[in-house]
Amino acid sequence: MNVEELVRAALREQAADTVPAPGDFAGRVLTGRRRRTRRTVSGVAAATVLVVAVAVGVPVALNSADSSPALASAASDGKTLARPDQSPPRDLIAAGGQALAAYYTSRKVKQPNRDEIVTRTYSLLDQKTGTYEVDARWAYVDIAPGMRTAAVLERQLPVKRIGVLDLRTGEVTRWIPVRDTKGGVGAVDFSPDGRSLVATTYGKNPDRHFWSNRAEINDGDKTRSEPRPVYSRTGFSLIDFKTGQQSWNEVPPFRMPGKERDIGAGEMVRFNTNGTLAYETIHGESGPIFRDLGGKVVMPPLTERPISPVMAPAGLSPNGRLVAGPGGLPATATEVVDPTTGKRTRLKVQELLAWADDKRLIAWDIAPGGDKSASRLVLITIGSDKVVPLSGARSPEDYSPGRWEPIFAKR
Amino acid sequence: MDATSQESFLEFVRNRSTALLRTAVLLSGGDRHAGEDLLQNALIKAAGRWHRIDEPEAYVRQILYRQQISRWRLKGRRRELTVAEPPDPGTDTRTASGTDPTGAAELRLVMRDALSRLTARQRAVLVLRYFEDLPEADVARLLGCSVGTVRSTTHRSLARLRVLAPELAQLETPAADAGQQQPPSRDFVPVEVRP
Repeated sequence: MNVEELVRAALREQAADTVPAPGDFAGRVLTGRRRRTRRTVSGVAAATVLVVAVAVGVPVALNSADSSPALASAASDGKTLARPDQSPPRDLIAAGGQALAAYYTSRKVKQPNRDEIVTRTYSLLDQKTGTYEVDARWAYVDIAPGMRTAAVLERQLPVKRIGVLDLRTGEVTRWIPVRDTKGGVGAVDFSPDGRSLVATTYGKNPDRHFWSNRAEINDGDKTRSEPRPVYSRTGFSLIDFKTGQQSWNEVPPFRMPGKERDIGAGEMVRFNTNGTLAYETIHGESGPIFRDLGGKVVMPPLTERPISPVMAPAGLSPNGRLVAGPGGLPATATEVVDPTTGKRTRLKVQELLAWADDKRLIAWDIAPGGDKSASRLVLITIGSDKVVPLSGARSPEDYSPGRWEPIFAKR
Repeated sequence: MDATSQESFLEFVRNRSTALLRTAVLLSGGDRHAGEDLLQNALIKAAGRWHRIDEPEAYVRQILYRQQISRWRLKGRRRELTVAEPPDPGTDTRTASGTDPTGAAELRLVMRDALSRLTARQRAVLVLRYFEDLPEADVARLLGCSVGTVRSTTHRSLARLRVLAPELAQLETPAADAGQQQPPSRDFVPVEVRP
């Protein structure tokens, strides 16, 4: 065999190894084409405006101090934007320093071998129009503070690269390859300053429920089998968002001592409030596990010491004086706690999702006359029982199109 | 695009996307995601003039090749390939005799890795010559260059592979110049288009 024959053999082998194109490929192409056409049309429109403006002597430059397009989320900075008639939301929802950057719905997609894949469909804020648009390309999304960019993972987790999506254009501007890990990335989380990502790596698709790992479920009088996830976390990578520099730490799934199976946590690793530590939430009795950014388990910081096994998503207030919790639905009341004095203040909402500012939080609350699980977004002020509805009520039914989960970001 | 064109386009994508993706992945040096991007962009371009295209597959393939080369030209060599398990050269007793299946398989892996480190243009020429099995004249027409350029690029690409993968030194010296070989077959007819 000579070099040419080996080139031929290697190319053919590589071609044979290529997995078939995704089933939705044709749809993706058409979606991409529509986006491009829209951009071209608006480009032509902008050029026309410029020509007309020059012709009539209008000082265009005065109207565009910043060359980048204005962000919908910044145009109403600080104002409360409520859509109590919308569920899922169509137009930007925001309060204080936070905005609903995106939301997703989930469904279980059955596979021929009886496995199920929990498939999320994201709707992302279009920063040009201020509306939420479905972007079905992604299996996982996190939005950077400032809401200009998102980190996106393609379908078929785990993946070997992270996309940087421009929320103004809907285009991926670059890809960050993830190197030197066991497995690939299944989830990402931005640091509070948006400069780093923590990417949790897995050996298997963390959204896949395996029939081979099924469990018996008591369903009234009958028992039935249900596929379950396989906890396959391998660790996490710390990635510099700008340069792509990265380091990986091996961190296998948590297991409760003495338990054989299914005690593993949700496993995703996130940054803590100030971005100096990483933590994972553990289902069960113990609180979250905190690690330094090298993967070593450390004591939780005083201000983030868990006040309940399940931390509320809102976490620490912007001034660092109060911590939100406990979370968990379908509770009808929660509280905020001063971690230094232990003083608790009760709030009559279900779950605290994000701090709008130091005194107000965005929360899930029961919609009037609704089921306990049919929650709506509200804005609540500490020390007051009054709430401002921010959205309509979502469906109580898990994995239904009306059951949406919010993603908040600093605006 | 009207409804009839759209239906014919969708049918083409459904039927041919896997075959086209194979070529796109090879052109991208084995990077599946980059291959999907490349193909998606080529198909978007083709969709814009679908009703005017006589031979869609040849047209899309030509866009693939030219786009890959011009993309590289515009952006330089900044892209880095993600390799799940880099081959570990020089740690085993591989042979190139062809009678040792393990050794031959490992050599092919070494070759894949070396191919991924060529420039887009070098790789495109090798894919056209040795995967598509096209004669030099057709390669030149597809890439919009001269036959002499195809010949010299092929020669330089093979030389570069030998540098990137010293393991290939154990292979037999080619009996004839690569440019003199006549490919056995080809599976599409190139057409003149300007993507």
